Amino acid sequence: MALPILPSPSNFLGVALVINRSRDGPRFVFHYPPHVAAGSPNKSCRGDDIDDDDDALLARLSGSETSASSMQPAVELAQWNHDDHLVTESGTQIVPWERVAGFPTKDLENILTPARAYHKRLFQVSLDPIYCVSYPIYVPENGVWRRKKKQQQQDRPETGASRKDDDGTPTADTDAGTGTGTARSTDKTISDADQLEGRDPASKPASKPAEEAEDKKSSMTMFNLVFFLQPKEHEVRDLVDVMFVHIIKKINKAYKYCQQRSDFVWKESKRILALKDKGREDKRKMSSLWEEILSSSSLAASMQDIYDAVSQNKIAAIQLDTAEGMVTHSVQIPVPFHLSDLPQEGEGDQAGLWLTTANSLMTDDELDEPSFLDKNFALLLLADEKKITAELQNDPEGTAVSMVEFVRHCKPTLSFYQVGQQSSNILTPAEVRKYAQHFIYWRRAIAIPPLHARDMYIVNPNCDMRRLPQASARWARQFPLLPALPNFLAELGVAPRPYKLHCPSKAHRPVYMAMLAWLMRGGWVTQLCTFAYVVVWPEIIYEVEYTLEAEDIARAKRVGREPRSSDSDLSGTASLGDVAVAGFGSGFLPLLDGASDMASSTATLRDLSLSHPQSVADPLSPGSTPSSPLSARPALSRIAIDGSSASQSTPAEQAAEKARLERIADKAARELAERATAHARKAVPERTTHPSVNNARHLIGITPHIILDAKKATGKDSLYLSAIGQRLQDKADASVAARGAAAASRSQHDRSNNTIPPRDNGTRDGKDWDERVANMWPLFLKYFNGRSALERIALQEDMKRKDVWNLLTAMSEYLLCIRHW
Amino acid sequence: MIQGIFYARFFPQQGTKIVAQSPPGCIVPVAGVDRACLFDFSVLQEYIIPRKAFCNRYITVNDPEGKYSVLGFPVSIPNPRYDRNEFIFNFGLVVECSASGSGSSTGVDQVPYERVVRRLAATFAEMEKQNGYLSKDQEHRPLEDRTDDGLDPLQGPIGSYRRRPIESLLEIIKEDLNNYGECMIPVDDANTINMKLFPHHPVPPEVKGWHVPVAKMKFADIVDPTWDLTLQRVIAHIDGVSDVRRIAFAADVSLELTQLALRHLLYYDTILLLDIFFFGACYAPRPGIHDFVANVGGMVDECANYVCVVGAAGGVGNAGSQTEGSGTRITVTDTNSKPGQNPADRNGASSITNGHRVSNYMLIKLMTTFCVGKTVAEWLKGHMDAGFDVLRFVDVRRLVQFGVIKGCLYRVHKYVVSKQYLAALVTGQARPLAGGDPLQLYTDGCHTFDQIITEQNLTDAEIMEKLKSFPAPAGDLTVIYK
Repeated sequence: MALPILPSPSNFLGVALVINRSRDGPRFVFHYPPHVAAGSPNKSCRGDDIDDDDDALLARLSGSETSASSMQPAVELAQWNHDDHLVTESGTQIVPWERVAGFPTKDLENILTPARAYHKRLFQVSLDPIYCVSYPIYVPENGVWRRKKKQQQQDRPETGASRKDDDGTPTADTDAGTGTGTARSTDKTISDADQLEGRDPASKPASKPAEEAEDKKSSMTMFNLVFFLQPKEHEVRDLVDVMFVHIIKKINKAYKYCQQRSDFVWKESKRILALKDKGREDKRKMSSLWEEILSSSSLAASMQDIYDAVSQNKIAAIQLDTAEGMVTHSVQIPVPFHLSDLPQEGEGDQAGLWLTTANSLMTDDELDEPSFLDKNFALLLLADEKKITAELQNDPEGTAVSMVEFVRHCKPTLSFYQVGQQSSNILTPAEVRKYAQHFIYWRRAIAIPPLHARDMYIVNPNCDMRRLPQASARWARQFPLLPALPNFLAELGVAPRPYKLHCPSKAHRPVYMAMLAWLMRGGWVTQLCTFAYVVVWPEIIYEVEYTLEAEDIARAKRVGREPRSSDSDLSGTASLGDVAVAGFGSGFLPLLDGASDMASSTATLRDLSLSHPQSVADPLSPGSTPSSPLSARPALSRIAIDGSSASQSTPAEQAAEKARLERIADKAARELAERATAHARKAVPERTTHPSVNNARHLIGITPHIILDAKKATGKDSLYLSAIGQRLQDKADASVAARGAAAASRSQHDRSNNTIPPRDNGTRDGKDWDERVANMWPLFLKYFNGRSALERIALQEDMKRKDVWNLLTAMSEYLLCIRHW
Repeated sequence: MIQGIFYARFFPQQGTKIVAQSPPGCIVPVAGVDRACLFDFSVLQEYIIPRKAFCNRYITVNDPEGKYSVLGFPVSIPNPRYDRNEFIFNFGLVVECSASGSGSSTGVDQVPYERVVRRLAATFAEMEKQNGYLSKDQEHRPLEDRTDDGLDPLQGPIGSYRRRPIESLLEIIKEDLNNYGECMIPVDDANTINMKLFPHHPVPPEVKGWHVPVAKMKFADIVDPTWDLTLQRVIAHIDGVSDVRRIAFAADVSLELTQLALRHLLYYDTILLLDIFFFGACYAPRPGIHDFVANVGGMVDECANYVCVVGAAGGVGNAGSQTEGSGTRITVTDTNSKPGQNPADRNGASSITNGHRVSNYMLIKLMTTFCVGKTVAEWLKGHMDAGFDVLRFVDVRRLVQFGVIKGCLYRVHKYVVSKQYLAALVTGQARPLAGGDPLQLYTDGCHTFDQIITEQNLTDAEIMEKLKSFPAPAGDLTVIYK
């Protein structure tokens, strides 16, 4: 997930409120910051020579025009501090706030009050090089902002739904794109809907006629909170998009809500305009006037909050002091807190983001299943627990208490599922999920796979080394008696090993886990995960192919001396002679292509492999030939059709036909016999304890095969998998047989584990252990897809990590492992 | 795609009117054309001919539906000879909207059209100033006022010279730009409009001395003597092995100019930047490696063609063909198209001398065994010990570069950090060379060993040796891999 283009003081110049009135026309109410810079034309981006003459011509055009119109001496203007008022010789007063972004507000107020067609739509006009983006709100067609009381009361029971649709403030677009797959922002409803809801009863139906009259007086037909942007040439679309969806739309809707409730925008506008008019007469300094406006008008203050927070990419919390009580609302541009892959060089501002594939490599069906997420993720608070608790306790909302409870239980080492259990079921899974998403959306926490001392952690390849000096100072304050940050990072980076090995003693474990959480928070480390695929060794491939061929020949035999209906069935066998040693596969022809064939033979293969390999070796023996009438039937029926058509022809023709069929049958029989001989000549599959190192002659030329997704394996892949399962089962059976001779069993066991020494001999002795391995194989298969980190199996299956690792180690001969974050 | 193009003019009596448009009826309806306008002209007209303060600048506005953007450059020419002392016009384009108000993100890039609009404005403004090209033309009254008086447009009322009507001019511009991306249109005897749509490329990242440029095309085939001389010298040394500093030295070009030249190539996406390959360097897999395992797009086969060493015995093969999509200059030497004819042993290594094609499984195995904390040399040794003589079959540098280019591997860089220096940085003191050691500058954790190697002209071992005499208390320096 790439980082969106975010607003900054360089590309977000300011906000301005413009209103339109039915009689007096548009007015430019307020803007913030006080001095919105006139955008500098971004020539640097365009700067090719080609444009120069055009620009020169056009510059001449505008140059002559402005010098004619502006009557002030340029010198005086240049020295102007943009705070005092100027009076020209002709007596014109130049008011510092009547020029915004290089344009007179008189002109801006006209161009920024678009027609009703733009009501609640994106309005975007670029005045080289500034982009004015907004979401104009018009008065309803009937000219009255305030909703009729009667109507309102009718609406009351269904406020939740109706207002959400109309005003859209609480939920409309919150789920547009939050940083993480786990967190969808239903959270906004938690705070905002409640707040807005709670205020409803306050709106007392006061003296009705008076209000109607007032409504008429207000006469504001539209308001428009305009955002002045100056994106770089290629960022226009992205910046406008991100601002519009997350900020502009939402703020304007919040204003609309207040305007509808208490005529807020119009009343505040009147107050601001009055102050400005007075300031103009008194020639007040702009700085002092702006101070007064900001302190006296919550609308103006909210614009300040929006600009200050959004241009720094923080959460803007606005407070609108309406006649019906305080309305609070928060907006932000959600930013991802993780990346799934290293950013390209040159995309510098993504440095420091945590790298993980925990969110991105999941399949959709996994994402849809909430329990999957619950078990795989833990919440890592980004600030001190106490601080967050204090914040919550200041909040009068009803949910705050259970949120505090949630914060108390949340540990980065516990999955959501475990949190739910640990809180002795005070919190339902849905609640845990909801609160977690709330915290994540509002940047108080991130979701991480639960930290565990057995997991491996490496230095995050994307960590921001520029922050290292500050970070090590903070680290030294936080963990004074422990290794310095650079040393600890160096230690983690040298060679990956389980985290607990970095910890000198068990007593240090808690503080080391705290260190790990600290490092995670700062994006300094990331987990090194293991992903696996199933490898099918040539021995297995050969065995499966051999069995399939045997089965096929046997089936053909059973169809018997019956003639095949067409030559094409057999054409494939022509080249059977040279199969003995050959190419990629194993020299076996693709005997079976249909999936149904494959399915039907799966069962037989299992039967076969149960019996001793020697019995498979002789496909001609009737005992071992499996019956598969399904595949034989089509051939027979076709013959029947042939026969019926033949019966209508003359005897001579019939004779000829019969002769032909016989010839075909002969040929088929001959070829079948050839095939059978060829097959019989082949080396009989032999099972070794370690297929990976079987160097038998007949296996040369077969390359190991990788199954990409063991869960979805079909066709031959599924046969391979069951063959491997069979191997593991055989091993278990073998140890059963050898149970009497315990010593022998142990020696065999030792041999089988010579690659990875067993960690714990106690649990995995002999039969029981091998049996378990065999039993777990089909269960674990679904994780061998290269996307599921093996570290998470324990969480998913609710097993002990050590146990899972031992099981995986036992299966490791058949796995191809890859390690990355 | 230009959806519409128009010429709007402000008339003292009638106000803002469309004088010419193409296709007919795209902005305002005309008699005989039965098609809907692209948008409501009355809503947008105040942005097409805006107030005077906004004239003579590039203005764009989206329509309320969020489907189209109108790009224009309203020109106002003040002159006493005009009614109201001013002549205002605008040549505008209508393109699909690029903003997401409509919810679709498939809009066109508007950036290239800005130049077109500016060029139209500049040309016609100048022509108007010189001989009243626009204002004298009585033909160009508002569309709806024009009665069909049977005048041949080419025999206009100003009979003295024949010229193209603006409407047909606009149509040609629109068609040519849409079809060819450029146009060259003679307006009258003296003036021609030349325009071209230039695609917009993002600003390329900086080229550093320790980068290794890899060509994505064969420069030798496309270079011609008109190219920049420095560029010609630089590209001759791009071989996928030499770092920028070395190229600068070999080409006898200053480092800055070399970097500039390479940045140009980068801008046009003709080179890639990699890191310097060392056997002592460390690489590790990243998520892209799963595509390699799955052989997405035949990646493994491509890799085999690129990395497998050509043996002396196997002279067959079709050397020299270019692999597609690899993005690198890869000379394919696939000696045997049928792998089956080449019995390799089960581990994929061929046991016969003339077998060069390492099996896919083996390549995957090689690629996936890179790991954090293991240098290429150690990786190599691991495979040698396991019985596979990597160097005989595989060009390790190519394998690593292939992995890096395809996003399967990343370089684990080495940094040296001095705690003392870090502490000094926090407090803001001792920024420059306090101890006078030239290496101190590099000990803040932001400089890779590659950088030190190229800038100080030392080898890795030499740097480590020098660091031993670094003036700092014992244990001050640490080496971080990330």
